[in-house]
Amino acid sequence: MQLDFHDGTLRLRGVTAKFVERACANLPLVSDPRDDCYRCDAMEYSRVCRCLDRHLGQPWDNLVPQVTQVHLHPKASRNLRDDQRQAIAAFWNAAGRGIIVMPTGTGKTVVAIEIMLQAQTSTLVVVPVRDLMYQWHARILATWGVDAGLIGDGVHRVSPISVTTYESATIHMPRIGNRFQLVIFDEVHHLAGSWRSDAARMCAAPMRLGLTATLPADPQHVSTLEQLLGSIVYQQSITEAAGRSLAPYKIRRIAVAMDPAQQERYRRLGQVVQHFVRGRQEVDPRFRWDEIYKLTARTTSEPGVAAAATTALRAFRMKKRLEERAAGKFAVLEKLLREHAADRVLVFVGSNAMARDLSLRFFAPCLLSHCGKRERADLLDGFADGRYKVLIANQVLDEGVDLPEVKVAIVLGGMASSRQAVQRLGRILRRSASGQQAILYEIVTDKSGEVARSRARRRHDAFQKPARRDLPDADQ
Amino acid sequence: MLTSSQAICSYDYRRRIVVPDRLCRGTHDHYLRPAQRLLNLYRHGAGRIRQELHQRVESILESTGDCPPRRIAAFCKLLDDAGVFHHDARAARKLRTAFFTLGASLHPIVIQQESVFETRLGDARRRAEQTLGMTWEEIENKLFSDVIEMQRLKQFELQLDASSLLSLYNLAQAQATLYRATHIRVIARRDFKTILRHAKLARLMHSIERHEDHDGVYYQFDFDGAASTLRETWRYGVRFAAMLAKLVACRDWTLQAYIHGPKSQRFLFELSAADRLRSPLAPPDDYDSTLEQQIEGAWRANPVEGWTLERESELLHVNQSVLTPDFVLVRAVDRRKFFVEVVGFWTPEYFQEKSRRLRLWTQPTPQNPDPLRFILIVPETSLKRHSLAELGLQLPVLPVGKTLDPHAMIRLAMTIP
Repeated sequence: MQLDFHDGTLRLRGVTAKFVERACANLPLVSDPRDDCYRCDAMEYSRVCRCLDRHLGQPWDNLVPQVTQVHLHPKASRNLRDDQRQAIAAFWNAAGRGIIVMPTGTGKTVVAIEIMLQAQTSTLVVVPVRDLMYQWHARILATWGVDAGLIGDGVHRVSPISVTTYESATIHMPRIGNRFQLVIFDEVHHLAGSWRSDAARMCAAPMRLGLTATLPADPQHVSTLEQLLGSIVYQQSITEAAGRSLAPYKIRRIAVAMDPAQQERYRRLGQVVQHFVRGRQEVDPRFRWDEIYKLTARTTSEPGVAAAATTALRAFRMKKRLEERAAGKFAVLEKLLREHAADRVLVFVGSNAMARDLSLRFFAPCLLSHCGKRERADLLDGFADGRYKVLIANQVLDEGVDLPEVKVAIVLGGMASSRQAVQRLGRILRRSASGQQAILYEIVTDKSGEVARSRARRRHDAFQKPARRDLPDADQ
Repeated sequence: MLTSSQAICSYDYRRRIVVPDRLCRGTHDHYLRPAQRLLNLYRHGAGRIRQELHQRVESILESTGDCPPRRIAAFCKLLDDAGVFHHDARAARKLRTAFFTLGASLHPIVIQQESVFETRLGDARRRAEQTLGMTWEEIENKLFSDVIEMQRLKQFELQLDASSLLSLYNLAQAQATLYRATHIRVIARRDFKTILRHAKLARLMHSIERHEDHDGVYYQFDFDGAASTLRETWRYGVRFAAMLAKLVACRDWTLQAYIHGPKSQRFLFELSAADRLRSPLAPPDDYDSTLEQQIEGAWRANPVEGWTLERESELLHVNQSVLTPDFVLVRAVDRRKFFVEVVGFWTPEYFQEKSRRLRLWTQPTPQNPDPLRFILIVPETSLKRHSLAELGLQLPVLPVGKTLDPHAMIRLAMTIP
């Protein structure tokens, strides 16, 4: 009898159908005539081992784990808060499987590092973006002096302690999924999609940890995460943490107007879009905007519809551009940068082009996907040590990347989803010794779709409660 | 290959089929002239930035009157892929560091100065020009010159005419339709070996069935991946797409792909050699080696009565191992088959792999108690340098010099019980 790891699955050979039926009925083993074996996802590894040990009654060949022992010795003493200790205890009480939900800035990374230390085993850390990958690498180096492997951003160096991105993990897990005993999915809400969830399914690690500040809103997605990693073992909300482990904060919304010419153009473009949508909804009441691409492609079957859809799509894109680049936004940003000239300010935008334009206008660095590892490190270090007062980012800094002591953030674009908004808020909420209040400015273009999106975001409790507390500050 | 955001296909919900976008002769003849203009744009576009080229592509294709945004994006991608873009990341990074360091010392930079701690925008630009030794326009052009959309075209090497560019587009859209495929079935009457080799290169798993009809033998290949037994997954879709480029270069095949469509519904995508998609890849070589060509030539010149020699007509397979013997000798009287394998290369890896595979069919096993009849043909020059003992197999060997006598092959085959 032999169990091996094959392309992200487990392959069981040398057992009879009768044995599988009798002893492995609770395992999702499937007969695979292509390869004369039984097969299941690699994530079932622990269960399969337990089952074979219990029922086989004879030694069997376990060819799955290709792990190397590691010994991690911390360089400095660790001071954990009570909530962090509780989270770690909850993880181990659940047999080393589960999801920990803690707001940004409450030290999720510290929790993960402590779990790695206690586990003392080969570990793969999976993160959403390459900046976070390098940050984890630096953190592991600083904590244990270990030069962790990197898988992603054109590097493929697999070590017993490795860091990778979700994208690379999904691609490479069929080949490396048996080399780790512990897998940590940082910002685990990125794992719920059907493509990315393969990164967890194809990993045989018996110990599995998910970390996030924002669980997916869809209960189906939460359920998927629990199947892949284990149940939610610890949960702390942003309002529980505010003022205790997070900085107190307020949110100011500033509405800016387009100039009259922009406003008129915006109105006309809006009419084009509305006219098209109404027309489609007369034909199909269930029509949704995201079906527009399909309609633009019907150049042969419905050339008229395709042409109208293309026009509407162009109008929609132009509208978004006008919203993002309302004339007043640059002026308000200038005013805020002047007001916070002594503070470090993080500016979030909705597009790379806008980030570059602001960068040229304010001579401020922008951190975008084109920046290489060295430049990113230089910009983040320079921002942390005060060399750069302003840092502009599109989505790169939305979550995960540590930015200590940033107390002012200005949002000029993006934030279509509540999750992105909460994550961006979390960037400024690390509690400092001074207890200084954090401020998030949300600059929206008046009489535009941005206002509606802002209203929708206020439904999230992170945005509601402080807004109520600091109502006089919020430009409603 | 295209990205999903450049893919266009239409789903027929009634017939449950999916059809990728295709620019056809007749219906889309009005694309030929714009396609030629696109090629000219890139051929003479050295020095232009990618963003500008894309804007030009958009305006050229808009002239067709029926070009959706995704089709425009797809052409941009295909043309970009054939171009070489200049990006001196180090110089741009150096410039940015100097520019932002200067900016930090001038912060905040404002239009109207209100205090001595502020810098007017005009003054800041002048300082930048002095410090960096270039005009403001040059700074604007170079500061982000390494960003993908700002990179400048260096050269363009696509040696195609307008019609071939449209063919390239059609193939790319067919490939993109396969990104959401969960399983593909190929029925082939020729080029089995090439098809399987490319499926292997794409790291796909296979199931093989042999069939015969009035046109002869054909094989049905079902391709998917390890996880396909466990759930419907399109994670192998990109691999199917990679394989399609070579399949299109083969002869006499049909493909059926099962596509995971909108609302998790299943659609069928069908394609065949008769659809005449064109591949930029070369068609399969007629022969793997000159020795194979010589053997077939010798047989044609001097055939042995009562016997036929078929080239690569049989596929032998056990689980995921496959062997396509180079020739099959068939004795007419009883249809008995003798498989002929040419052993031409002598690298240790080649030997190891050849030996492993031949063993599967030449050694008796519980599943296969009657091993197949194999003979090996080996060049004499190779035998002088190497021993066949390296193969570790007891098989009849026919050394071949400059010529091959087909009767010698038959005599050797007849020694096998």
